Amino acid sequence: MRGVTPAVIFFAGAGLAPLVVQDAFLLDSLVFILIWGAAAAAWNVAGGYAGQISLGHSAFFGLGAYGAAIFGVRWELSPWLGLAAGALVAMVVGLLIGYLSNRLRGPYFVLATIAFSQVLLVAASRWRGFLSGGEGIPVPFRPGFWTLGIADKRVWVWIVLGLAILAYVVAMYLERARRGYQLAAVREDEDAALSLGVPARRLKVAAICVSAALTAACGALWAQYVGFVDPFYVFSVDLSLRFALAAVVGGLGTALGPFLGAALVTTVETFLRGQFGGIGAGLVGIYLIIYGCALIVMVRWAPQGLVGWVRERWPRRAVAGTAP
Amino acid sequence: MHAIPQLIVSTLLLGAIYALIAVGLTLIFGVMRVVNFAHGEFLMLGMYLAFGAWALLNFDPYVTFVLSLPIYLAVGWASYRVVMRPIVHASHNVQVFTTVGLSIALQNVALVLWTADARFLRTDYYAVVVRIFGAAFNVAQIVAFGASVALTAALFAFMRWSYTGKVMRATAQDRQASALMGIDTDRVYAITWAVGIACVGAAGVLLAPIYPVYPTAGLQFVLIAYVAVVLGGLGNMAGAVIAALVIAAVEVFGSYVIGTSWKEVLYLLLFITVLVVRPAGLFGQRGAEMVGM
Repeated sequence: MRGVTPAVIFFAGAGLAPLVVQDAFLLDSLVFILIWGAAAAAWNVAGGYAGQISLGHSAFFGLGAYGAAIFGVRWELSPWLGLAAGALVAMVVGLLIGYLSNRLRGPYFVLATIAFSQVLLVAASRWRGFLSGGEGIPVPFRPGFWTLGIADKRVWVWIVLGLAILAYVVAMYLERARRGYQLAAVREDEDAALSLGVPARRLKVAAICVSAALTAACGALWAQYVGFVDPFYVFSVDLSLRFALAAVVGGLGTALGPFLGAALVTTVETFLRGQFGGIGAGLVGIYLIIYGCALIVMVRWAPQGLVGWVRERWPRRAVAGTAP
Repeated sequence: MHAIPQLIVSTLLLGAIYALIAVGLTLIFGVMRVVNFAHGEFLMLGMYLAFGAWALLNFDPYVTFVLSLPIYLAVGWASYRVVMRPIVHASHNVQVFTTVGLSIALQNVALVLWTADARFLRTDYYAVVVRIFGAAFNVAQIVAFGASVALTAALFAFMRWSYTGKVMRATAQDRQASALMGIDTDRVYAITWAVGIACVGAAGVLLAPIYPVYPTAGLQFVLIAYVAVVLGGLGNMAGAVIAALVIAAVEVFGSYVIGTSWKEVLYLLLFITVLVVRPAGLFGQRGAEMVGM
């Protein structure tokens, strides 16, 4: 179990915190940190490990959220089934996007992913009958574990922690397994990887599919936790950015990075909102100005993210499977 | 059939504005190899510039339009120095996230300064209707069309005949070779960025009297510009203009046939089709998408 000590500490801390912390606000923050962390880790599978920088991942998140909402509200079935269905649909859509934009690299791929998520946004916000159009779908509270109506935030922490650990395990698999190395080769130089017999196309599509399914699962849990699905939010470019930013801040292509990034970003966001929100409603944007500037500074001076920065300062003794 | 002349004129009026936005984007890409994800935010700031000058100083938006060009060139130059210069030669990821960061920051500067409320710039002559071949339009649309065509033409002339334009084209073709020929590429990038930003800023000023102004107003226009730029072939200015007209036609005729609420889907599907079938666009170099250039 070399190299996973920080992650074990992180997840154990998150899992044990609800036993100590009673404060609803702190538990709420923890749930969000874990959801955004898991979503960022899911994004990282495609964006960090496979090098497929997507700014349309909200498409998958939205599919998961709508899956849970439709199963729960329209068909009165369990949102767990909705989560599974959403993840499945997201995988199919991921397959489609991955297959269609396989040739595209760099900015072309980014633009294609934005376009796909915008198509879903327009479709969801205009389909009035079944999806309630732009009004969105409220997800009512139905008590019980099977219906995911859980008032106790501690239980929520453990549920999303499960998903977060799943996302981490996928990332660890990519760091340790042959396929992960192949994917890294594709990311660094696709032509060279192809010439060495790495099935680059298939690996890229597979990475997008896995990433899509995990992102959709995050969306489904998010919808149940928040209780409202708004198409203009769940399919927005802003939301896609949130996943990408947490991963970039934490460290592209590192297993724990997205979680650290999400923890940092969410905490700073909450703090700055508290600081500036009180002065005037218009000033809530200040934290996003800082955010934007921080991103510019960050990719310039510490493009490896938090994890990369720490590794540079305190290099580990030789351990296999370290990401760039 | 009586609607056809109106639709054609609408296409031209809309297409000219789209072309001005797209030309700046494609120029920046062609020379600097950077997709500017903050392009829409510069457009939005142009709209606010017009609105602010009108609301506070009672400036007519077309006075602001003339003043905005030097202001925007300066803004462009400054933003190049501070933000873009260090990352011109960086990887795609760094470039994408830098311009995205710039976009987030600018959008929220607008949010803090003017709140999220939609603002309307209504001049006295707003309701004046002009008739062209039986098609009716308001003055703001006609002026925006004329000014866009003039600016776009001026930019083409600048690129074609001026020495600076020639140098910019040389840099677009081969940055190493042009540096070896003694071209100050850093200065070329600064000029390119400033000119591209000035185009989109001017477009914003022209759009302000027609569309509501709010902090995320840029997104809808810049999405169209991305479609136009890719359809025309990234970096190809003439291609971008033609593609802008094509998209305007798709939007106008599509809205007429299937209704306005699904018009975005039309050009997004067109975009995806282009990316899948021929990512190099109508006039781009084949295989450009494979190297991400």
